Amino acid sequence: MGFWQKLEQMDRRWIYLMVAIAVIVPFIVPADLPISITPEAQMVFDAVEAVPDGSTVFVVFDYYPSTIAECEPMARTALRHFFRKNCKVITLSNIPLGGPSMAEAVSRSVAEEFGKEYGVDFVNLGYKYGYVAVMTGMGTSIESIFPTDNSGTPLSELPLMSKVTNYKDISFIFEVADNSTADYWVSIVNAQYGVPMVCGTTAVGAPKYYAFVAARQFLGLLGGMKGAAEYEILIGHKDDAVKGMGAQSLVHLLIIALVILGNLGYFLGGTGRREKLG
Amino acid sequence: MRTTIPIIVAFLSGLVLALAPFFREDNWFGGLKQELTEWLIIVGGFTLLLGVVSITRVNWTAVTRRKEGWGYKVLTLVAVFAMAIPSVLSPEWSTLFGRADGSIYDWLFVNLQSPMMATMFATLAFYIASAAYRAFRARSVEATILLITATLVMLWRVPMGEWILERLPGDIPYLLNTYIMGGANMAVQRGIIIGAALGAASMSLRIILGIERTYMGKG
Repeated sequence: MGFWQKLEQMDRRWIYLMVAIAVIVPFIVPADLPISITPEAQMVFDAVEAVPDGSTVFVVFDYYPSTIAECEPMARTALRHFFRKNCKVITLSNIPLGGPSMAEAVSRSVAEEFGKEYGVDFVNLGYKYGYVAVMTGMGTSIESIFPTDNSGTPLSELPLMSKVTNYKDISFIFEVADNSTADYWVSIVNAQYGVPMVCGTTAVGAPKYYAFVAARQFLGLLGGMKGAAEYEILIGHKDDAVKGMGAQSLVHLLIIALVILGNLGYFLGGTGRREKLG
Repeated sequence: MRTTIPIIVAFLSGLVLALAPFFREDNWFGGLKQELTEWLIIVGGFTLLLGVVSITRVNWTAVTRRKEGWGYKVLTLVAVFAMAIPSVLSPEWSTLFGRADGSIYDWLFVNLQSPMMATMFATLAFYIASAAYRAFRARSVEATILLITATLVMLWRVPMGEWILERLPGDIPYLLNTYIMGGANMAVQRGIIIGAALGAASMSLRIILGIERTYMGKG
């Protein structure tokens, strides 16, 4: 068996080992990689900057725990950005599986950095079933959809919520999603109520939303961990996404190298030629 | 009767929600829409309960009949109830109940569920690398175009790759963002989004008018 044939039939466990090394090494030996800013991430930053200081905003945790690595840095950075502008933040989630818990944990930890008080500076509404009904219903009354916050405290007992009735009192929405709920925020809340919004999503989900960015229904877009890293750089607080860029870079390069090697093996090892001959 | 009543409910509910955006929210019609929306959330909550009942029944039957893999089904049942029961009990009885920091639910979520879900998703990286090596072949002109485009986009989406692209002639990152993501990709995505929206609108209309009855288990 020739070299190329052996290469073509390489045991997949070697590939798994290479991926594991490519993921682990950059965390042990971190490198300060230059990260350029895409126009879409700059638009997110500019849109949040344009929100008047002290406004009330939504940060929506529409992602599952499986995509924490990509989505949580976006949510964390958005909260930092809003708290820095003294905005009042209302978090909620349309994901029953962990959404409210992640919103609670992330908002409380970021609020602690800025000395923000629960109920006054931020509130977590939690989760309610049926995102289309939730989004539609909040257009009339947020309290009728969420009578209590995530911990069961009536909204009427929270000072922040006394000033908020419906979308008319919400200046901006920062949607972090790994699924199609972002489509409904656009079609229901942006299109029908005119609330400006941006979206942070997984790298796999981002291509879909370029159409909404072009239509200005999303004022900006963060795509995957790279998008989160760009946003961290823009607000001047490098965190988990920037740290993850080394591993992501190496794995991408490894996959590209494997694709090239696989094709070389395919053509030079004879399989490609045999397939062409029929 | 078992068909007629659901069709009437679907027709009236659908009609109210479809017409609602054309009316003011502070009049009786807006109030009706809001009432229906709240009912939708309440009824939807019961479907979650139905899910728990269903998963319990299916798994319990498999356990009692000692079907293949019944041990895993025991684990499923234990996991469902270990998460669900403490989370619905009142935190006033004990700090271990409810969903706040320090509760059983929170501990299980942070230390088990969340890492397990992230691990399952992260495992994809290994499979993608292996699948790319074995299956991503330049077998035809179309496959070659896809392969080259995917390679360039993958390079562009990471700092090391971008560094490489910036050293090549021409502003490749700009071209990729403008013509691939903001051009070809966006055109295709628009087609899919508009097509899916038209499909959803037509399906909604069929349900409202009682033409589509598969949701009642009828053809």
